[in-house]
Amino acid sequence: MSPQVTVAPEQFVMVAYDAGEIAEMVRDLSAQIGIANPVSVEVDERTPLSKMSASVDGTSSDATVRLIFESGALENTKQLTTFGAPRARLSIGRMLLRASDRLSGRFDAAPDDLELTNPQNAAWDTYCGGRLQRLGLEPVEQQYRYDFRNRFGFGDAVDADFDRLWAADDLGWSDFPTVD
Amino acid sequence: MRQFFPVEDLARDDRFVQTNMAKRLADTRSAVDVKQSKSKSRSASNRLTPERHDASDAARSLMHGIMVGEIQALEGAGRTAHDFEAGDGTGDTIPFELKLDMARQAWDEARHVEISAKLSDWMGTEIGQFQENTVLFEAACSNDPVLRLAGVNRALEGLAIDVFTQMKEFGQLAGDPFLEFCEDWMLADEVTHVKMGSDWLRKVTEKDPERRKKALEFQQVVDKLFSFGGARGESDESPIGLARRFRELAGFTDDEVDTISQMDQEALEERMATVRLAQEAAGV
Repeated sequence: MSPQVTVAPEQFVMVAYDAGEIAEMVRDLSAQIGIANPVSVEVDERTPLSKMSASVDGTSSDATVRLIFESGALENTKQLTTFGAPRARLSIGRMLLRASDRLSGRFDAAPDDLELTNPQNAAWDTYCGGRLQRLGLEPVEQQYRYDFRNRFGFGDAVDADFDRLWAADDLGWSDFPTVD
Repeated sequence: MRQFFPVEDLARDDRFVQTNMAKRLADTRSAVDVKQSKSKSRSASNRLTPERHDASDAARSLMHGIMVGEIQALEGAGRTAHDFEAGDGTGDTIPFELKLDMARQAWDEARHVEISAKLSDWMGTEIGQFQENTVLFEAACSNDPVLRLAGVNRALEGLAIDVFTQMKEFGQLAGDPFLEFCEDWMLADEVTHVKMGSDWLRKVTEKDPERRKKALEFQQVVDKLFSFGGARGESDESPIGLARRFRELAGFTDDEVDTISQMDQEALEERMATVRLAQEAAGV
């Protein structure tokens, strides 16, 4: 079932993005991930940075999923200010997986996305990255590994943690590693 | 072989997409909150450190910028070694020893390209993943070899000192042994390149103060361009700091570094004013 999707702003003025294209991408990825809830997408086009967050206002099937992106998260890094579909699919997919995790009840103890520490963010991103790959998207595993190492350290034990998260499909918040 | 190679003719395969400063500055978004309001998503300091939420992404982008910068520096030094006849340094000639220094620099830069490509791979970046700004090579297109020394060896390689210092610190703080080690070695070469530029500029213009003045004025223009709208500077809003100590080792005087710092700040303020106006006009 295709969810109801809204995108703000409806017209972009600082970047060449199309709200309809973003909405279509969200609908397509939601179907792949199994989210039927309504989705609200907000893009901050004032900044080229790429922070993003996902939240849900409940756990019922009509709870709204709210995704917020800084414009860099959806951008073509070869042609700045234009929409980059491959990058956008990965960013949106990552946030939809997080929303799906939150809807599952296994992440009730997780702080809001904007309150997550950098290591918590990296661990969750790794867990999402592996699942995106198995959904047929093309995340660059080495990028995720490098992010993970930056947050947890450069060593074999950290790499083993990364591999475990990358390969997993049914983790909960308490399964994530913490920084010593 | 051709002399005086224009930027449009640089050899690149189809992985690379090039841009220039005019296009970069036409992008009126800003990583800094130009309205000065507090926003959760924007940190107080914009300096590139591992604490930034987007640290890995920003480091990858900068590393790619370093790699294409090294390619352009290689091309610039190589051109200077080739484009001018050996002579006493007057007119269109350069001393033969200066040619040798440029050839040595080209070899250093080639090694830096290889190191940067491998570091990019280590960080998960694909070659050509980010656009290439050709402004660095443009500083190497002057017909006067002394202006090339000012533009390339003093301004461009000076920027390299700032960037490598920042990346070395990033690697050190993140505990990334390869990044820290490689940046430290490349930094040592860049200090040497700037020192060569400083020494040759003084030597070649020893009896021509007017030419030296013109070269130093050109360097200021290029230095302001290389501030990238305040992306480099001593303000917390600048991702890349000004590496005073290493610039001093490379032959910059305190006054020269102060001038660069002031120009960086001016560039930042001008950029923020432009962005503020553009965002107000766009109603965002």
